[in-house]
Amino acid sequence: MTAIRIYEAALCCDTGVCGVDVDEALVTITADVRRLQELGVDISRHNLANDPVAFTTDETVRGFMHTVGSKGLPLTIADGVTIAAGGYPTRELLLEVAGVGAPPPAPDGRTELGLSGAASSGCCGGSGCC
Amino acid sequence: MRFLDRAPRFLFFTGKGGVGKTSVACATAVDLAARGRRVLLVSTDPASNVGQVFDVTVGNTVTEITAVPGLDALEIDPEAAADAYRERIIGPVRGLLPEVELAGIAESLSGSCTTEIASFDEFTELLTDEAAYAGYDHIVFDTAPTGHTIRLLQLPGSWTEFLATGGDASCLGPLSGLDKHRATYAAAVAALTDPTRTRLILVARPQTSSLEEAARTLGELSAIGMTDSRMVVNGVLPEAAGEEPLAVAVRERESAALAAMPATLAVLPRDVIGLTAHNIVGVDALRALFAPPAADAAADSSEDVEIADADLGVLVDAIESDGHGLVMFMGKGGVGKTTVAASVAVALAARGHDVLLTTTDPAAHLTATLDGGIGDLTVSRIDPVTALEQYRAHVMETKGAGLDEDGRTALAEDLMSPCTEEVAVFQQFSHVVHQSRRRFVIVDTAPTGHTLLLLDATGSYHREIARQMGESGFGFTTPLMRLQDPAQTKVVIVTLAETTPVLEAAALQGDLERAGIHPWAWVVNNSIAASRPSSPFLRARARSEASQFERVRGYADRLAVVPLMAAEPIGVPRLLALGGVPQPT
Repeated sequence: MTAIRIYEAALCCDTGVCGVDVDEALVTITADVRRLQELGVDISRHNLANDPVAFTTDETVRGFMHTVGSKGLPLTIADGVTIAAGGYPTRELLLEVAGVGAPPPAPDGRTELGLSGAASSGCCGGSGCC
Repeated sequence: MRFLDRAPRFLFFTGKGGVGKTSVACATAVDLAARGRRVLLVSTDPASNVGQVFDVTVGNTVTEITAVPGLDALEIDPEAAADAYRERIIGPVRGLLPEVELAGIAESLSGSCTTEIASFDEFTELLTDEAAYAGYDHIVFDTAPTGHTIRLLQLPGSWTEFLATGGDASCLGPLSGLDKHRATYAAAVAALTDPTRTRLILVARPQTSSLEEAARTLGELSAIGMTDSRMVVNGVLPEAAGEEPLAVAVRERESAALAAMPATLAVLPRDVIGLTAHNIVGVDALRALFAPPAADAAADSSEDVEIADADLGVLVDAIESDGHGLVMFMGKGGVGKTTVAASVAVALAARGHDVLLTTTDPAAHLTATLDGGIGDLTVSRIDPVTALEQYRAHVMETKGAGLDEDGRTALAEDLMSPCTEEVAVFQQFSHVVHQSRRRFVIVDTAPTGHTLLLLDATGSYHREIARQMGESGFGFTTPLMRLQDPAQTKVVIVTLAETTPVLEAAALQGDLERAGIHPWAWVVNNSIAASRPSSPFLRARARSEASQFERVRGYADRLAVVPLMAAEPIGVPRLLALGGVPQPT
């Protein structure tokens, strides 16, 4: 089975949904990952703020961190191959890479985002979390 | 004291800094020990002065208090706990990731949530390890965890997922660095929410803002299942303060605040503790705290303190000399930053300047009297509660629309994190900030340095702000850049001449300095010494402020002092008087 790993910038929250402007892409990817997990896909997210070790064990990711750094995250890797950088992959791409059959219909009102949405890292105010 | 009747094993004291939680907790420990119980007193207050109170060095190991048979104490330093936690996360990758990345991770883990979770983690054993602490009949905590922390530990779905995938909610992220088993947290939460084992004691000053804060805490903690709550009103002005106008006015204010306390508090069993002439130090003072007030022999021959610091008028002069700009007043709740901000705004308007005062004054009574009342003063109000509700509702409607039930629960909890309010309010403020290039903009709140550092990294927001500020062309100014520039922004820290508020204000300053912002001035509000009282009791209180003034002068580049006023500073004339502007007769 394909192992998909998404490496994300230091959001105070793993989902990143607690910042100045909740990034639509983060909400979407949270739902997408959940859906793929339900389908039995081996997919998980690693957040730089609480799981930095994961960024050093994978050679590709470690190299990326030294040459580009966290400003280039998120980085999505499937079996050692980079499939998206600087933005999240779409659910369609994830399903395709994971080799899962026909994509289920997207829920109404979901915005499809391309690969351009930069990851937001806004989060957690002063009295706030993290 | 009614709150000591049939006291259960765990007692938690809660209340804002400066309400006297530590004194009441220490006095409770002494009282229980005197009844022959074995007591452990635990402080998780960053400003812990348990050691000072008993005149022994207490650290992060259980220390015997020899002056009180049967009493041991333990101080958990939340900052040290948070440091240790950050090190557990960052240590393994030091040298493997670039230094700049490590700094970014450290900043992400520098909010109060990390600190709180780390402290909670430190004391979970006290709640759960029956064997190690079986010798104690009572464990007294001088702080209580927030509802947010407890809810995170209760989130059922998130925990399972967290263990499987590495977390799901805002503060569960920080939990990944904790090494305790989930069952330990579950047991800790079970102990907290069991009224046969745990009692919550809300400590408040007899002041409206303090009582409202206590009601909020009560609402939050009863919602998560802490059901046995008691109320202690601490620091009520005693008879001994005499009948001078200042004392009479303070007494009237206190009675009015108590009479109008929120209904949820009013029904709780309540104890009242009088203000003491001197700071509570030593076992004798602690024993006396719960005793009925004796005729306070406060009269002594010491010299009165002379507070020679400037009044607000001097700050107004300096602000005025720039012709325009942003002035942000910052401080913990209850220190009166709203009043001080309004006073400065009114003083500038009285001198003929165009002034915008943006205030979070929840009671419109202060600012409602200002609109149109004086020259070129515009008042815009931001209600933090409304701002927060709108923000949360907006996020749930837009971002939460496509989520399933679990996802919506996790998103809703993320939006309950304390940071959200600050962000929601700051967002509203950002709309007025750009006006400070042409006029004076006075703001009675400010984001912390931690927020600013994190906000500065947010692309969408920062572009949005840049657009609102009308910056164009090459590069733009982020909110942080504007706030870092002393020519554009002055940050004023407001505090009280009391131990905890000064420590908290110093922490605010340190946090701002991390973000490259150096506060321009400090204001010590409600100083008894500056109001030159005449009764021996109040003069003794005034003398106890001296050491706090010393400490503030060590932090502040500029200092102004506002006396405790007999009349509440509401309306233009009184606010002008506060700002050192002579009242038009």
